[in-house]
Amino acid sequence: MPVGEGKFKLYAKLTPPLEAGLWRLRADQHFEAQTPETGLDANDLRVDQENVHLRIRSPRYLLPPDQILSTYPPANSFGSYGSRLPQVVIKRRTLPWERRLEGAPDKTPWFALVLIAEGEAKLETSVDVNNCVTAGVELEGLKEVAKGNCLVAKKSLINRVFPTKRDLDLLAHAREVDIRDTELMMGDDDGFLAVVISNRLPLPGKDENGKDAPVKYLACLINLEGQYDVLLDRSPDPTFATQFLAKHLVYQEQPALDDHLVMGTALAPGHPGANPLELGELTNPVPLASGSIGSHSTRYQSGAAVGAGVKPYAGSGQWSTSSSATTTSAKVALQMAESFRIVDRVQATPYDPEYRFPVLLHWSFTTTGDTTFRSLMTNLDSRLLGDVGNPAKPLSGRLPLEVVESGHIGLGHQTREGDRVRAWYRGPLVPHPTKNTGADRLKLAHSSDQLRVVIPDGREDLSLATAFEIGRLLTLSQPSIIASLMRWRQADYHAARLRSLMVSNRNLWEELLGVGFEKIDLHKIGPMAGRFFAEAIVKNPERFLGNPRARVTPGRPLEFEGKPITLLARGLGLEPALFTGNLTEVLNGLRDAKIPRDDLLVNDLGRIDVRETLGIDLDRQRIDLVSSALSNKLLNDHLTGPAFPVTDRLRVDVLDDNLDVILRDPRPLDFTDEDQS
Amino acid sequence: MINKSSDILEHLGAELQKTARSPSAEFKRDENTAMPAELRNWLVQLRLLEGVPFANLVADSELLPQESIRWFYMDRRWTDALVQGSLSVGTVNSDDRIQIDAQYAAIRAELDTEERNVRRHKGMARLAGQPAPITGFLLRSSAVSGWPGLHVRAFNVDLEDKDDDRFPENDPRRIRLLRLERLAPAVLLCMFDGTPKVVHIEEPRQGIQFGFMHEDNGNQRSAKLRPRNKSDFKYLDEDGGKDVDVPFRVGSSGVVDIRRLSDALAAHTETGADDGLDSAEYALQLIRFPWRQVFGEIEVPPIAAMFRATIEYAPMVNATFKL
Repeated sequence: MPVGEGKFKLYAKLTPPLEAGLWRLRADQHFEAQTPETGLDANDLRVDQENVHLRIRSPRYLLPPDQILSTYPPANSFGSYGSRLPQVVIKRRTLPWERRLEGAPDKTPWFALVLIAEGEAKLETSVDVNNCVTAGVELEGLKEVAKGNCLVAKKSLINRVFPTKRDLDLLAHAREVDIRDTELMMGDDDGFLAVVISNRLPLPGKDENGKDAPVKYLACLINLEGQYDVLLDRSPDPTFATQFLAKHLVYQEQPALDDHLVMGTALAPGHPGANPLELGELTNPVPLASGSIGSHSTRYQSGAAVGAGVKPYAGSGQWSTSSSATTTSAKVALQMAESFRIVDRVQATPYDPEYRFPVLLHWSFTTTGDTTFRSLMTNLDSRLLGDVGNPAKPLSGRLPLEVVESGHIGLGHQTREGDRVRAWYRGPLVPHPTKNTGADRLKLAHSSDQLRVVIPDGREDLSLATAFEIGRLLTLSQPSIIASLMRWRQADYHAARLRSLMVSNRNLWEELLGVGFEKIDLHKIGPMAGRFFAEAIVKNPERFLGNPRARVTPGRPLEFEGKPITLLARGLGLEPALFTGNLTEVLNGLRDAKIPRDDLLVNDLGRIDVRETLGIDLDRQRIDLVSSALSNKLLNDHLTGPAFPVTDRLRVDVLDDNLDVILRDPRPLDFTDEDQS
Repeated sequence: MINKSSDILEHLGAELQKTARSPSAEFKRDENTAMPAELRNWLVQLRLLEGVPFANLVADSELLPQESIRWFYMDRRWTDALVQGSLSVGTVNSDDRIQIDAQYAAIRAELDTEERNVRRHKGMARLAGQPAPITGFLLRSSAVSGWPGLHVRAFNVDLEDKDDDRFPENDPRRIRLLRLERLAPAVLLCMFDGTPKVVHIEEPRQGIQFGFMHEDNGNQRSAKLRPRNKSDFKYLDEDGGKDVDVPFRVGSSGVVDIRRLSDALAAHTETGADDGLDSAEYALQLIRFPWRQVFGEIEVPPIAAMFRATIEYAPMVNATFKL
């Protein structure tokens, strides 16, 4: 039956058909047959016994993360959780009842969620599973992990904080929610959940000023298998005897406290942070009112103490002076306990054994002050953006904020010239509705400078220009968006341009492509036009194709001005008349013709500048010749200077003197033919 | 070889999960759009001020004091300028600018429609048409950091006495959220598609919570439990006349003495505790509901009370024009 959205069902227990562990399934079959002739009994028709071994697995030392739907308060969170009980929601609905607690009533949850304030107990992680339980306790069966976590707690802590045997059953229940209700289901598959609640409120601490101080709590889902008997049978009754037992413990740890009691003075101030002792005052016994046994509610500060007319014990310390009757009764009580206290002092610390519990799941969170969501929300300063609120005191060292009616604020502005001025700025979030429709929308700008506005008071309003630049810079920081813009520009802008081109020649294209203008696909127009042309060529080749080109083409005819003979004669510097007549005459004429000479060189050879020019040339040639010859052959033999000084001096002296050397026969000077023979 | 392929499978699985988790902000490329889908996604995000530095949203920290909520209207000219700046990246020459000039009206109209559908869940109707003004609030409070996952709902009608009711997501009275995001650990930005009459901010529903009514009178703490009727889940006495004091265990801080609590509850037979409390009945008594803060005014206050400019209009004009 569906539960209905927003609703859920609570079950006290959802027990599994089989508990976790090893099981054997035995199947026997018995056959009997009766025919007219004979009867066959079970022995004749025997069927072997079938044994099937089952192992039902269930997490024992570590809860797999996929079994946890949620924890509250959230892990590692800060908040005021002082009025909410921590809880864990588990996907497997039967998990709390899948194991049997030795000595407990049937169907008792085998784990409990305990809440430990910082410093009260020790969590050990990555412990060998055999060491996860108290020594001497043996958990039979399979161990699903090699290493686990364990909580080491003293018996006194167990008595104070752990649930009692009676509580265990009330702290786990199952819940069925509508599988369509995401808010309640939180991702479960069948809508059935198991919920384990803690028995302790994560209260914040108190510092010396009475203000709330944050306390870190550790929530542990612990396995109680084999150690059920460690738990208290029932919560301790707030009896007279208990009161002194509690006092005695206090006395051992903090003797000054008892002095305060005896002296009737105010209590020593509490300590900030997590102090279990101080936290414990919430439930410390209140001394009895005069002559009354008192109900539970009047003797404990858990609610009605004030209403019943009894001053609270903790904190104020006024109880000792306000009412003589109260004081007297307390003193009498202390007097009566005097002898016990002496005995206790001799006994020293009572035996307080440690127990180890496997931790299936643990997380920690911090409880801060008593601010609740409700108190925060109802005290919010709710105004329009732009209001500066009611600052306690103006911030020193800065000018008061300029906020004008339009929501603009004044900000320092350094112009491009470097001047430091003030400018107006208003972000996108404004206190008034703005004109947002029709012609009031912003016209398209292509540059931020188009959006800079100078307003009558002389300042610039940079709001929109800033927005433009932010949009530009944000986009520039995203290469994929730039690429997308560029693709868009190429594909669509160009297509749009092409379209406008085509609209202007609409008739041509429609005729050319043979389809209606609306059906022309711009992306395919290139191939379509090409196909159209090819088709036209194939149909009427003569209109498009000419004759093949000749293999050889004649050269370009030369062009002459005037008669060829005249041109030839001019080219040779001869009279055109020489080339007229028959061949003999022409040959004779040519033989006799005086070859034209240029007299210029001969005539000008005597001129000084011509001679110098030629002389320089001659010198250069000579130096080149000499230096290459020397460097090749004689550099090592005759000239051992650092470098060959090719100077005028060399040219005149050295060169002239050695010219023989250069041009001489390569044989040595003293070489004669006779020597050789 | 086996390891390798299992690695690949794991990787694929992780990728698949990642994709499944990521919000479905992707638009399909459909016909007759003014711009490509990825560009439209980007511009819609910009329109909703995604990625805009916080200093540009709130130019001075004095404008958003601690423990304050500041309501605002969105200036569309500002977001238009943002989009124009983004589009200017794609224009290179004056030819492009002429082109985008011609297309800009269509782009703007499409963004106006699409930004309304950003947080549309699958199956919800697409909103179309010219949008209403965008409004919203900035909440700076330790409630944002201490209670992650706040629920925000906005309504376009005054709900009168129905502030406690539940409304489905597509109820016509609900105004759709355009953005709900923590900009800083203690700063929440929320934007609505319209001008809400009533806004609910609700404590996160991390499952169902169990607890008591907790009181702190300075020196002592106490807790009360208001018993519920087992059969109809109603409080036995709405005004607290039958509240039960929660007893705590001796010598322990905050440890509830469940045995004595059940004894106290047994005094009220409607709770079902008189015949022995079971765990479901116990849980039923402990269930606490998240707090829902309702913002809405019965009488609209004058604007001067909600927004006080430090420079009045008249002195500003006088100073400017030397009057």
